[in-house]
Amino acid sequence: MSGYAGKILDIDLTARKIGVIPTRKYEHWVGGHGMGSAIFWDLVEDKSIDGFDPANVVTILTSPLCGTLAPAAASRCEVQGIGVQSYPIGWFTRSNFGGRFSSMLKFAGWDGIVIRGKAEKPVWIDIRNESVEVKDAGTLWGLDTWTAQKKIWREVMSGQDFSRWMRLGSRDDASRTTQKPAVLAIGPAGENLSRMACLIHDASNAAGQGGFGAVWGSKNLKAISVIGTGSIKVQNPKALMNARLWQKKNYAYNLKDTDNIASGTVFQSPPIPGVLWGYPTGSWRPKEGQRPQACVGCHSGCRARFASGLGNEATCYATVFYIGARKPEIQRKASDLINQYGLNAHEMLYCLLYLNSLRMKRILGAGRDIDCPLPFKDYGKENFVEQFVKMVAYRNDGLGNPHPFGDDIAEGTIRAAKKWGRLDEDLASGLLPFPFWGLPVHKEPVGQLEWGYGTLLGDRDINEHDFDWMKWDATSAKMSGGEPMVPAEELVRIYTDKMAPFQGDRLMLDYSAENMYSEHIAKLVTWHRYYTRFWKQSAMFCDWRWPDFLNLRAPGKIGSTGEAEPKFLQAVTGKEISFLDGMELGRKIWNLDHAIWTLQGRHRDMVHFAEYIYTKKSKMVEAPVLFLPGRKNGKWDYCNMLGRRMEKEKFEGFKTRFYTLQGWDTKSGYPKRSTLEALGLSYIADELESHGKLGQA
Amino acid sequence: MDEGKEKKSEKGRFGISRRNFLRLSKDVFVAIGAGGALTHIVWAKKGVAAIPVSEGYLVVDIKKCQGCVSCMLACSLVNEGVENLSLARIQILQNSFQNWPDDVSIEQCRQCVDPACVKACPEGALTADPENGHVRRVCKEKCIGCMSCVEACPHPPSRAVWNFQENLAQKCDLCSHAPHWEEKGGPNGKQACVEVCPVGAIQFVAQVPEQEGEDGYKVDLRGPAWGRLGYPVD
Repeated sequence: MSGYAGKILDIDLTARKIGVIPTRKYEHWVGGHGMGSAIFWDLVEDKSIDGFDPANVVTILTSPLCGTLAPAAASRCEVQGIGVQSYPIGWFTRSNFGGRFSSMLKFAGWDGIVIRGKAEKPVWIDIRNESVEVKDAGTLWGLDTWTAQKKIWREVMSGQDFSRWMRLGSRDDASRTTQKPAVLAIGPAGENLSRMACLIHDASNAAGQGGFGAVWGSKNLKAISVIGTGSIKVQNPKALMNARLWQKKNYAYNLKDTDNIASGTVFQSPPIPGVLWGYPTGSWRPKEGQRPQACVGCHSGCRARFASGLGNEATCYATVFYIGARKPEIQRKASDLINQYGLNAHEMLYCLLYLNSLRMKRILGAGRDIDCPLPFKDYGKENFVEQFVKMVAYRNDGLGNPHPFGDDIAEGTIRAAKKWGRLDEDLASGLLPFPFWGLPVHKEPVGQLEWGYGTLLGDRDINEHDFDWMKWDATSAKMSGGEPMVPAEELVRIYTDKMAPFQGDRLMLDYSAENMYSEHIAKLVTWHRYYTRFWKQSAMFCDWRWPDFLNLRAPGKIGSTGEAEPKFLQAVTGKEISFLDGMELGRKIWNLDHAIWTLQGRHRDMVHFAEYIYTKKSKMVEAPVLFLPGRKNGKWDYCNMLGRRMEKEKFEGFKTRFYTLQGWDTKSGYPKRSTLEALGLSYIADELESHGKLGQA
Repeated sequence: MDEGKEKKSEKGRFGISRRNFLRLSKDVFVAIGAGGALTHIVWAKKGVAAIPVSEGYLVVDIKKCQGCVSCMLACSLVNEGVENLSLARIQILQNSFQNWPDDVSIEQCRQCVDPACVKACPEGALTADPENGHVRRVCKEKCIGCMSCVEACPHPPSRAVWNFQENLAQKCDLCSHAPHWEEKGGPNGKQACVEVCPVGAIQFVAQVPEQEGEDGYKVDLRGPAWGRLGYPVD
């Protein structure tokens, strides 16, 4: 099984037993998300349980590309299970993180880890190649994620010198490594079951969404450590090496090719850290000594490490989380705090903005209707953010004293708003900008349609940037009076030519109001779901470097997506999975996930945005305009897509078109038997039918 | 005759002045010409055979490295045909929680002018390979797995790598015998780590680096273009 270790670690925390699932049983899903959903389906009988139920199963899966030279495809790791963050239902959801963990797991001889049950007391899992132990975590519980990881490093390597080869075993000829264990851990937030708690690996690799930190906390699982010295078999090493160098030469950044350097969440970006310190008013990218920092095997790192050590490896929301910070150092310290305590930066940012909005309305504060112990006079200072983070992590006032406000907030922003009797009002006005499933806004959902629709029709903020770079480029060009990389019509042609099986439908990228409810946009959303479910979340091509649609370095500016992904997968595994095969697998996985949501209670009638999306004209905090391709009077241009609202009735029409395209019952949104059977999922149709949730033909 | 004493009084047997000699050990001198190029090796003690210097070296920039370990993945891929960090003949050490530049180090084989590993090998399996520019190379057929070279390397982590799967030693030979790669390796060819490094933090050089300390091998490979990305240039 080239690319695979051949075994999935199966841990029953209740019985403290270690088992093995042969990877071959799920090999047809290829890896990552597809495998995770399939394993979840098999192991969790009642899909409607709560995320905190010990019967919830968490899967952590790699792909055959992890630990290989596939560029920006060798390090991601997919976490799945029933989440506790979304509302009103904690959907079966996913999160994903990079760094060293997934490759190290493969080197240790494992394709993934399945976690079942609940330990009686806090434990951690110590994986050293094939040797796996569930150990008491008494001295780790309570530690922040960084301290816990460093402590585990020392314990696993038995105090050996990190500057030398370290043996795994006592014999002189034992296997050895110079690498430190890769550890995934929860911080105090997860231990105290905060619904915003996440999983942290190294300084800032985070499985941020879904509240998996709290799920682990509910299972009394503090950390998983893995060190491996084994080999990953590659079907065709020469082909892999050739493919890597070809990709580098033709599509990756080249500092000598200064006319064609373009940075962003794209393949050809040079290794500039994706930090948003200082955003949106400016850039506080540190000017001190620094290096780019990349996940295993990546051709262009998206983070950095600094001479001061402040904010090491942090990117994106982890950097902008304390948006009100008065000084760069404070904002960077806040990044470290959120990683150390193990909290989801995305929701913490919007939670804080919401609290500040309520404060400015004089509803929230010391002694007010909502009694909040945060010292808002110090908003922007370090003590404020430290108290806020600790408040959420410890469910108290943030200073070590009991306080119900901490408890409210630790339950997540939506549940706090509900408790305070403000939920309906603030979702109607937009004071609480949480458009879907109790989760905060990310990209403006009425403008960036694939983002808004994809999130609502799925389980979480999609956080998939496939169509985001064109927005950044066009918007910054229009705002600065410059020119976008390419004219809109050319961009649309290049992108849509690659969007098999719907290739050629240019209107998939017409974001205009006239087109926003159309079948073309339904195809855009569909393409996006299938591509991300398979190529990114199962095969593990990283979201910040793939797909490679438009590439300024390539002839005709045509990027390598469609050609590159199957090439690398085949070089490693020998599997002849075409791009279209992968899209079909993505469709299969998407249907499996939707079946799980259906069993959890999903029905068409509940698939709605928060009220303010339908009633208020769209706007963004970070910029006054949002440019995306669209047609005006039959001509393509980049148009400003802000200032419109989602029309409810027309959105209902969109849903019908989307469900039709999926082959789902348009009345209920339930999958139909014919669709599932055509995908080889008749057993899923049977299960849905037994619950009365099979779509009608 | 004491050859060392003789060189003090004259311009030297080979016409090189005394100040241009670099003493590496009590037995070995090298002569450095203009521009740092090695011109000669001489030996002070009778009966000690000279080990020819390598015609190639890797130099690295530890302030530039992005810690992706692509070099390690490429090394084990082209040499062993698998991905395995523990079998890589170049090692990246890093610590997420440490400050730049101490958070990363690149530890490549130095192809030492006075190779302790070669001298330690009791079987003559580790030699300066004359067919490949005198790279210090393990002939696996002759290696008996005694680990003497591994223990002898004075640069931790040992650059002579213990292959615990084959119970043999192996080490960087500048890809002179990389069976899983189509390119020609060795000092007159290409090196997988150099080719794959995404940021150009590894470079091949033909000149002998300064042997004392680290400065000969840990160099500045950045430049104005790197600076334009917002990174420090020395």
